[in-house]
Amino acid sequence: MAVEAHELTKDYKYGFHDVDVSVFRTEKGLSPEVVAAISQHKNEPEWMLKFRLKALQHFEKRAMPTWGADLSGIDFNNIYYYVKPIEEQAGRDWDDVPESIKQTFDKLGIPEAERKFLAGVSAQYDSEVVYHNIRADLEKLGVIFGDCDTGLRDHSEIFRKYFGTVIPPNDNKFAALNSAVWSGGSFVYVPAGVRVDIPLQAYFRINSDNMGQFERTLIIAEEGSYVHYIEGCTAPTYSSDSLHSAVVEIIAHKNAHVRYTTIQNWSNNVYNLVTKRAIAYEGATVEWIDGNLGSKITMKYPAIYLMGERAHGEVLSAAFAGEGQHQDAGAKCVHVAPHTTSNIVSRSISKDGGRTSYRGHIKVYPKAHDVKVSVRCDALLLDEASQSDTYPYSDIENSDVTFGHEATVSKIGEDQIFYLTSRGIPEAEATALIVNGFFEPFVKELPMEYAVELNRLLAVQMEGSVG
Amino acid sequence: MAATVESAAGITAAAVEARAAGEPAWLAERRRAAWEAFSTLPMPDHMRDEDWRRTDISKLQLDDFSVEPPDTSVSGEALIEAMRARRDEAAPDSAFMAITRRGVRACDEMDMLTAQGVIVSTLEEAARNHPELVQRAFAAVRVGESKLLALWDALWRTGVFVHVPRSVEARVPVWAAYSVAGANAAIFPATLAVLDDNASLTLVDAYASPAGDAPVLSSAAALMVLGDGARLDYHHVQQWGAGAWHFATHRAILGRNARFRMFGATLGSRLQKVYWDALLDGNGSEALLTSVCFGDGTQHLDLQSLQRHRGESAHSDLLHKVAVRDRAVSVYSGLIDVEKQAQHTDGYVQNRNLMLGDGARASGIPRLEIKANDVRCSHGVTAGHLDDDQRFYLESRGVPRAEADRLIVRGFMQNALDRAPHAGVRDLVARLLDAEIHGESQAGIEAPQDEAL
Repeated sequence: MAVEAHELTKDYKYGFHDVDVSVFRTEKGLSPEVVAAISQHKNEPEWMLKFRLKALQHFEKRAMPTWGADLSGIDFNNIYYYVKPIEEQAGRDWDDVPESIKQTFDKLGIPEAERKFLAGVSAQYDSEVVYHNIRADLEKLGVIFGDCDTGLRDHSEIFRKYFGTVIPPNDNKFAALNSAVWSGGSFVYVPAGVRVDIPLQAYFRINSDNMGQFERTLIIAEEGSYVHYIEGCTAPTYSSDSLHSAVVEIIAHKNAHVRYTTIQNWSNNVYNLVTKRAIAYEGATVEWIDGNLGSKITMKYPAIYLMGERAHGEVLSAAFAGEGQHQDAGAKCVHVAPHTTSNIVSRSISKDGGRTSYRGHIKVYPKAHDVKVSVRCDALLLDEASQSDTYPYSDIENSDVTFGHEATVSKIGEDQIFYLTSRGIPEAEATALIVNGFFEPFVKELPMEYAVELNRLLAVQMEGSVG
Repeated sequence: MAATVESAAGITAAAVEARAAGEPAWLAERRRAAWEAFSTLPMPDHMRDEDWRRTDISKLQLDDFSVEPPDTSVSGEALIEAMRARRDEAAPDSAFMAITRRGVRACDEMDMLTAQGVIVSTLEEAARNHPELVQRAFAAVRVGESKLLALWDALWRTGVFVHVPRSVEARVPVWAAYSVAGANAAIFPATLAVLDDNASLTLVDAYASPAGDAPVLSSAAALMVLGDGARLDYHHVQQWGAGAWHFATHRAILGRNARFRMFGATLGSRLQKVYWDALLDGNGSEALLTSVCFGDGTQHLDLQSLQRHRGESAHSDLLHKVAVRDRAVSVYSGLIDVEKQAQHTDGYVQNRNLMLGDGARASGIPRLEIKANDVRCSHGVTAGHLDDDQRFYLESRGVPRAEADRLIVRGFMQNALDRAPHAGVRDLVARLLDAEIHGESQAGIEAPQDEAL
């Protein structure tokens, strides 16, 4: 099978694309028939079909959000909502994956990650999960790590109990869209008391032109368990725009600890409109580590609902917007229970006319006393063409709260540049160093391979820029 | 609720025409255009308009309000005297104008200013005698930019106009006292000031109605234009009664190297939505904006600020200190908007909320939109309760709890009070705050209830 691997450009190193080898795709556009075709093709139970059709109604009823980034370029009728790349789903052995898809993932470096004994890898290519593996010892402990379609089929009881409970289909227009046409994504279940000590990983890749990717991830951490889930996203560069609209739901039961890391590096023609939300029960901790480097427009505000006493939420967000990019990202923490705490740190950089926006919401309900919240946003503007915005919302309805929000926007400090250049470091390199330092709080939370990767990506993005 | 007020006494086209009659053509036209905009625009809706999301005015019935005082009621002097007493306490040397629906009720101590060539008069008079100056101030508002500002534009009456000529430093402050009394009374305070290059002025707007929860509508604007190097210290003290709806825009346009200091105290009203707009058009201009706000009962106090930087190397700094008790709600939203050419901008916003009651609420939305790269902009918002350590420190030294709490709240407000440009206004506001802290609401001032002004 022929593979057209484009030269890796400095702008987007994953911008190759393979010949489209999909075996089944729905027609372009959205209709109850398309939704039914997806459901039928997947052999889904009746309730899921109904869920999808109802979500489609919500989607059609709701207006496009106008409060954030400019979404007028999305043409919902020019998108393939479901593309199935291969005949059989979720092979357990790397050798079973078709050669062309394997080469794509080779370029992304999954086999290396696999060789390093990471706990589990699943890779989504267009709409379906094509390869998936989990370490046997974890499986023995009862850990489930699969794709959501399999979750629905093989673990229907747990799946149905939680699916769509954190983010109902009528939550917002794009959650409704995802609920109608979702396919793939990860399903993670960690039994009580189990610590998954190595990260579970997933890769998402769009390969088809005018493709929409709508994966659905559901993570359930039972009492006292721990899991770290990592996702990476890429797409080839096509002339027309693609749409990625995922839904991620996390349920952290009593004293569970869930960490979710995303490095989003979609190509610069992907609209990345994602709803991510977690529920943290008594004593639970949820962390979102959210990196946004790619995409044309990202709108993503990972949320944590602190429902039980002493629950803790943490959002660490890093965004980089280059030419033609708008990263509208942020965080939301909702304190429903007393003695809950949350901490948000956001770092963003705009360059070459890019725009970064921090948009956040802190809500403290009347019954949530002894709450502590800290929000810290810093933005760097690297040139005159770029823009940075901050939109932090806070609604405090209890008097026993310690809440602090701080934000700064500035350019790179001349004294910092001067310090480095006066010691013989060229200006371009000095700038890159300062930018790396600026992202340090984010990078240091990543596993080593990702940290190295991110620093490389940043170096590429920073090429040719001087203070 | 009272029956809908028809005719020229209500908020109607007839009332607009009654005001336009005898006015210069440009002003009458402006009123009619504003009325047209007001009639066309939808009411702000907390479900639809982002600016109004946390402030619900669906219970406001504009038709109930009367822009004219009744012919028969007692039109006593007690309220005006109470307003004068505040001025005597804070700035006895100031030129004083007391304004009600019945027009100018007092106009004292103008000589010092007129001798300097300063124009200080009613807005109507100035519109006749100095149209070009008054138009400069009106130009700060585009007719129809919002429904409620259009309402003010169409219906204001008996405003205050001040013009300070080039390089003149007005020797005494101008104190404009707006008051209204009587159920369903509507008043439209209008203070317009034009400062030529290098001129300077201290200006005070005081708003009050009798204590109590009689429905009152206040739709106010203060429009201030500062020439190059001009300096304006503007204060306003809001003490409407607990039944008042208060909508206001305090807007200043700053020339090159102009300095604008604004100090506002919010104590009264049932609900307020107030805009503070500092438009830093001139290079090197400076805006120092300070607010103290104390909410009690079920007050809903909304302040929205804009620091718009167009000039280079301009500096703006807003401090908004809020204490809320009982079931009071504070809503703050602000924007530092730095346009592309506004390099070397230094912009800052600070909103500190002290939560004194379990039912009290505070929202803070400080936004930044930055399009220039060589800037330093930051903001901070905090919310917290009375510090137990501080309370313990004081109580363990024998200070009774009530007094300790008063000291802590005063301490919390003190750095905002210290930024008041005029010491007399600062001390007056400090005294009113002390009374608030003691539990005596300062929404409205003591005056006989049967007056209708």
